[in-house]
Amino acid sequence: MKFQLKTRQVCLFFIAFLPVIKLFTLPSVFAQTAREDMWISATISLLLDFITLSFLIVACKKAQTNFFGLLENNFGKIASKIILMLYFVFFSLKAIVPLGEQKDYVELTLYTLMPSKLYFLPFFALAFYLCTKHLRVLGRLSDVLWVLSVIGLLILLSLSLPNAEFDAILPIGATGVKRILSASFKAFNWFGDAVYLMFFIGEFDFRKKDGLKISISYLISSLLVVIFMAVFYSVFTSIAFRQRFALTEISKYTAVINNIGRFDYFGIVCLLFSNAFALSIPLYFSCRILNHVFNINKKWISALITTAIQLIIMTVFTQYYLSIEKLMTGALSIFFFIMANVLPLATPFLTFRRKQNEINA
Amino acid sequence: MKSTLKAKILLGLAFVLFLFFFSNDFGLIDVEKTSIITAVAIDKEDQTFTVTAQIAVPEATDTNSENLKAQLSGKGSTVGAALKDLGDVSGWFPKLAFCNLIILGDSLTDTNVIEALDYFAKTLRVQDSALVALAENSAKELLSITTPLDNISAFALQKVMLKNQGFDRDVASTDIKTFCSGYYSRNGSAFMPLIKTVNSGDNSSDESSSDSSTKGGSSGSSSSADAKNKDSLFDARTTALFKDGYKVGELDPELTLTFNALTQNFSDTTLPVNDVLEQDGKTNNYLLTVISSTPKLILNVNDGLTLDISLKLYCKISDHASQSSKDALSQNTPLSTAVKKKAQDLMTERINALIEVEKQTECDFLKIKEKLYRYHNKQYSKYKDNFLSVLKTKVNVIVEGQK
Amino acid sequence: MKIQKDLQKNLNYIKSELQSDDVSFLDLSIGNKNGVLVFVNDLVSKNQVGELILRPAFSFKGKPTRKKLFGAFFSPEKTEVLTFDDFFNDLLLGNAMLIVDGIDGALSFGLKEFEKRAISEPPTSTVLKGPREGFVECLPVNVSLIRRRLKTPHLRFEHMTIGKYSKTPVAICYINGIADKNLIKTLKEKLNKIDIDAVLDSSYVSKFLGERDTSIFKQVGNTEKPDILAGKILEGRVAILVDGSPIVLTVPYLLIEDFQSPSDYYSSPYSATVVRLLRAFSVMLALFLPAVYVSAELFHLQLIPLSFLLTIVNSIKGIPLSPSYEMFFTLAIFEVLNEASVRMPKYVGMVVSIVGGLVLGETAVNAGIISAPTLMIVALSGICLYTVPEMEQTFSVLRLLFLLVAGTTGLYGLILSVSAFIIYLVSFENYDTPLCAPFSPLITADMKDGFYKGFIKEHEFRPQSIKNVNNRRMKIKK
Repeated sequence: MKFQLKTRQVCLFFIAFLPVIKLFTLPSVFAQTAREDMWISATISLLLDFITLSFLIVACKKAQTNFFGLLENNFGKIASKIILMLYFVFFSLKAIVPLGEQKDYVELTLYTLMPSKLYFLPFFALAFYLCTKHLRVLGRLSDVLWVLSVIGLLILLSLSLPNAEFDAILPIGATGVKRILSASFKAFNWFGDAVYLMFFIGEFDFRKKDGLKISISYLISSLLVVIFMAVFYSVFTSIAFRQRFALTEISKYTAVINNIGRFDYFGIVCLLFSNAFALSIPLYFSCRILNHVFNINKKWISALITTAIQLIIMTVFTQYYLSIEKLMTGALSIFFFIMANVLPLATPFLTFRRKQNEINA
Repeated sequence: MKSTLKAKILLGLAFVLFLFFFSNDFGLIDVEKTSIITAVAIDKEDQTFTVTAQIAVPEATDTNSENLKAQLSGKGSTVGAALKDLGDVSGWFPKLAFCNLIILGDSLTDTNVIEALDYFAKTLRVQDSALVALAENSAKELLSITTPLDNISAFALQKVMLKNQGFDRDVASTDIKTFCSGYYSRNGSAFMPLIKTVNSGDNSSDESSSDSSTKGGSSGSSSSADAKNKDSLFDARTTALFKDGYKVGELDPELTLTFNALTQNFSDTTLPVNDVLEQDGKTNNYLLTVISSTPKLILNVNDGLTLDISLKLYCKISDHASQSSKDALSQNTPLSTAVKKKAQDLMTERINALIEVEKQTECDFLKIKEKLYRYHNKQYSKYKDNFLSVLKTKVNVIVEGQK
Repeated sequence: MKIQKDLQKNLNYIKSELQSDDVSFLDLSIGNKNGVLVFVNDLVSKNQVGELILRPAFSFKGKPTRKKLFGAFFSPEKTEVLTFDDFFNDLLLGNAMLIVDGIDGALSFGLKEFEKRAISEPPTSTVLKGPREGFVECLPVNVSLIRRRLKTPHLRFEHMTIGKYSKTPVAICYINGIADKNLIKTLKEKLNKIDIDAVLDSSYVSKFLGERDTSIFKQVGNTEKPDILAGKILEGRVAILVDGSPIVLTVPYLLIEDFQSPSDYYSSPYSATVVRLLRAFSVMLALFLPAVYVSAELFHLQLIPLSFLLTIVNSIKGIPLSPSYEMFFTLAIFEVLNEASVRMPKYVGMVVSIVGGLVLGETAVNAGIISAPTLMIVALSGICLYTVPEMEQTFSVLRLLFLLVAGTTGLYGLILSVSAFIIYLVSFENYDTPLCAPFSPLITADMKDGFYKGFIKEHEFRPQSIKNVNNRRMKIKK
C-alpha cells in the first residue's frame, strides 16, 4: 500500500493550519460572550476536538483502508455516499465564515482604501489549484507552512506581550459556565479540525507511538491558540470584543512599531500565507469527497464545482453575509458539532466491524 | 500538447495581468493625493465637532529643507463627519494610518470625551495606538503652535509625551486603546496627559501663547512658523483624570510621577529630594536616580478593604547642591540615612495624596475595583459601589542605596 | 548495410555517401592485398597515421586476414566495424578507417586530434579557495577530468550519440553501487527517445530530460567544475556529458543545489551557513522588494514608516509615471542594460555599464523621470539576484511577474501568487525526487546541507533526498 502522507506531515498539518484560522474574528466572537474567560471557551472547544482526535487515532491504528473504504465496507456504497455528501455539505459550510472574514479583512484593513471586490477573487484560483493536487501535496505544504505559522504567531505574541496585562484574565471562571459554554457553542464553526484526521485514515503508515506524536502536535497547536486568546484579552481587556481582526490589532502597540513602522506585518504576512492554505482545506476535502462519490477522474471538474459554490456564496450572497454568519454561529453550530465531534467518534467501531466481518468470513 | 496548451493559457493570463497592470484602474491611491495626517485636534462647540488635522507636506529632497505642515479644519455633527468635510473641501483623502496624536480641546471636557474618541477606536483604518492628550484650551490652537523642537508641532508633542519610554517617567502618556479600555472597564476610569504650553527657558504656563492664528471653518491654513509661538514648548506632566468620560480632576506633575512609580517600571528616573537635613545641621538638595523599583499594590479584604502599597526604590545620587567633599565625589557614594528617610517620607506623602485624589475624584486610576474583581471576586458585589469610601491604605516606601 | 569483401564496391559506396573534400582516401598495399585508409583530414593526427598505421601497413608481409590485421597495428584504440553505419559514425568522430580488399569489415583507429580549448577556471563558478579546473568542450578531456577525481572501477561511463546530423557523442556517468538503477534506466530511456537534428550544447539535451516541458524552473542540474560533479555523483546523481559543451548536466535536480556554491564546501561551515542564509535572503529581496515597494506605495501606505514615506513622497514629486509604471520601466531598462552588457564585446560592455549605471541613472533621477528610491530598489534587486547566478533567468522573470501582480492586486494578490508557486514547487517531482527536498518533504537528515552547512563529520550518510543504493558516505572512527 502506497501512502500519500507521512506521520510527520499529519502532525505538522495541525500546527500549520489549526491555529491560523482562529486568529481573525474568533477572538472577538469569544470575547463578546465569555469575556476574560474566553481562553477557557477556546480550551473547551479544543478539548472536545482532542477527544474526537483520540478516537480517530484509534481508528487510524486499526484501519486497513482509508475512510472512504471504511464507510463502504460498513454501510455499502449508497449509504456511504450519502454520509460523504453530508460531509461535503459540512466542509462547504465550514468554509463560509472563515472565507467571509478573510474577505472582510482584505477589504477593510489590509488596503489603504476599500479595494475592488475583484481583489479577493484570486483566492478562488488558488483554492482551485490546490484542489487539483494530490493529498501528498497537502502533506508537503504542511512541511513548509508550519514554519510560517509558528514564526508569525511568535512575532505577534512577542510584540504584544509587553502590552499584556495578564491579570485581566482573572478571576478564572467568573463569567459563568453558561457564558463560557455559549461562547464555545458559537465557535464550533471555527473548530472541529480533528475531523481532518478522519480523512487521513489509511493515508499514512501508522506506527507505534504515532498516536502520541499526533496528539502532542495537536496539543502544541491548541496551546498556541489558547495562549493567543489569553494574550489577546490581556492586551485589550474591556474592549477586546471590539477588535474585529485580532491578528492586526494585537501587536501594534509596542514601542518598536512607533520607531520603525509596522514591523508586525512580517508576522501577519507569514500568517496570511498559512491562512490562504488553511482556508482552502475545507474546499480541498469537499473536492476529494466529490471525486470519490461521483468517480470523477478529472480533478479540475470537482475543484471547479467546489470553488464555484464558495465564489457564488461570497459574491452573490455578500449582502446577506451577516445573516449567514449568524446562522453559522447559531443554529448550524449543532450541525457542525455533530459532524465534527460526534460522528467521528463512531469511526473506531467501523474498523472493528470490518475486522469482525473478516473473522466471520 | 497538453502542457503546451497549459503554457498558452498561462501566457494568456500573464497578458491579461499585463493589461490590468497598465490599466492602472484598481482603486489604487496616489500617495501625493493622500494627506498624511500626523495629528488631529478635536474641539466642540455646541453640538458641532471641529476637527483640525495637521498634515505633513514633504518638500523636495534637494532643497534639504524641513518638512512643512498644513492645517485643515472640518466641521460636522460627529468626528467622522468633520473628517469627511475636511477631505471634501481639500480634495485630499484624509489618511489616518499615520495619525499618532489626538488632542482634545477643553471644550470637550464638559461632555463625554468618548464621543470624540470612539470614532478612532472603532474605525479599522485608524491607528488606535495613537497618543491622546487634552489641551489646556483649544486643541486647534495647541496644534498650530510651532516650537523650536520641530516645526511640526505634532512631532514635538509626541517627543514630549513619549519621553517616558526612555527615561523620566514623569508623563502619564496613554493611547486610544488604553483610554477606551479604561472607559469601558468596570470602574469607567481613564486618564490622559494635559498639555500646557510654556515659554522656553521659563517653566511657567504661557496662557497667551495659545492665541495663535488659525482660520476656522472648512478652510485650510498653511501655517508656517509663527513668530509669536517660536519660543513655546509643551509640558505634559499634568494628568487629566476622567470618570465615565467626564473630566473629574488632575494630577499635578509630582503626583503623576508618583502614579507612574506605582504602575510602571520606574528605572532610570530622576527623583528630586530637597531640604535634607544633614548631620552637620545644614540642609541640602539632592537629585536621586532610581536604578530600579518594585511597586506592589495588594488588595486585602480580610480585615476590611485594605490596599497595601509597597514601593522599593533603589537609588543613587546623581547630583546635590552643596560643595562636594572628596568622599562625595566618589562615584559610589552611599545614600545617607537622612536622604533615604527624606525620600521615603516624600514618596509616602505623595502616595497618600494620590489615594486622596482617587477618592475625591472617584476616578479609579489605580484600578482598585479591577483588583477587587480579579482577586476577590466573591467580595466584589459587596464592595463594588462603595470601595473608595471604605478603602484603607497601608503605605510602605523603602529607599535603598547601592550596597 | 554490411561492408563487403570487394574493396572497389565498398569505396564506390563510401564515395557516393561522403561527397566531401575534407575526406582523404589513402591507397595502401598491405601484404599482397590493396587497402584504403579513409579519414577526415582535420580530425586525425597525421603523425599518428604515419607512425601507427602506415609504417606497420608497409611492413606487413603475407596474406592479410582480419585477425592478423587487428594485431598488426600499434594504435591502442582500435575496433572492428562491420556495417557502413558504424563505419561512417567512427569516421566522422575522427577515427581513421582501414578497408582491405577481401575482408568484409573495416578497422577503426582512434587517432583523433583537433583544436580544443585549454582547461581553465569556468567564469560562471569562480572560487577563492578550491580547484580551479573547469570542463571544456571536448568530451574525452571531460571524462579524464572526472576519472582523475574518482579513481574507482565503479565509475561508469556509458556512451551514445544523439542528433540525426550532429551525431554528438553523449556519455552518462555514475558510480555503480551508489546511483539508483531505476534512475539510470529512466535517464537512458529519455536519452534514447531524443530524436533531434543536432545537439549543439548540453542545454539541448536538458530540455528533454525534465518532467514538465513548460516549467519555468530548472529541472536538470548543471556544473562546469569537475570537483563539484564528482561530489554530485558521489551523492547518487547521474551526470550527462555532451561533446561540445563544457556544461555537464546532472539528474535528479534539487532546488537547493543552486544555493550551494562550490566555495561552501571549501570554507568553514560557519561562514558557509552565513553565506547561504545571505543568499536566500538576497533572493527574497531580489524577487519581492520591487513588488512589495510598489504594492506598499499603491495600496498599503501603512506598511511604510512615516519618515520613509515622507522621503518617498519627496522623491516622487513631479515624476510623471505612477509608482508601478516607474518600477516596471526601470526594471525593463535594467534588463536591457544587463542583456546589452552580456552581448556586447568586453570593451564596449564597460562603456554600457558606465553609461547605463551612472549616466542614465543619475540623469533620470535629476530629470525627474524616475525617483531615487525606485532606482535604488531596482539596483539592489538586480545585485541580489546575482548571488544565485544559476537561477538569475528564472528569478528575473518571476520578479517581473510578481511586480505585475503587486501593481495590480497589491499585497494580498502577491501573497496568493506566491502561494500558488509554493503549491507548484512542492508538487514538482523529477525522477521521483521532489524538487523542494529537503524542505518539502521535510528530510531533517538532509537539512545539514540546506541553508545550514554542517560539519564534515555530520555528513556521514548520503542525502536521502536523492535515491541511492549505498547510503553510507563515511565511517567515523571514534
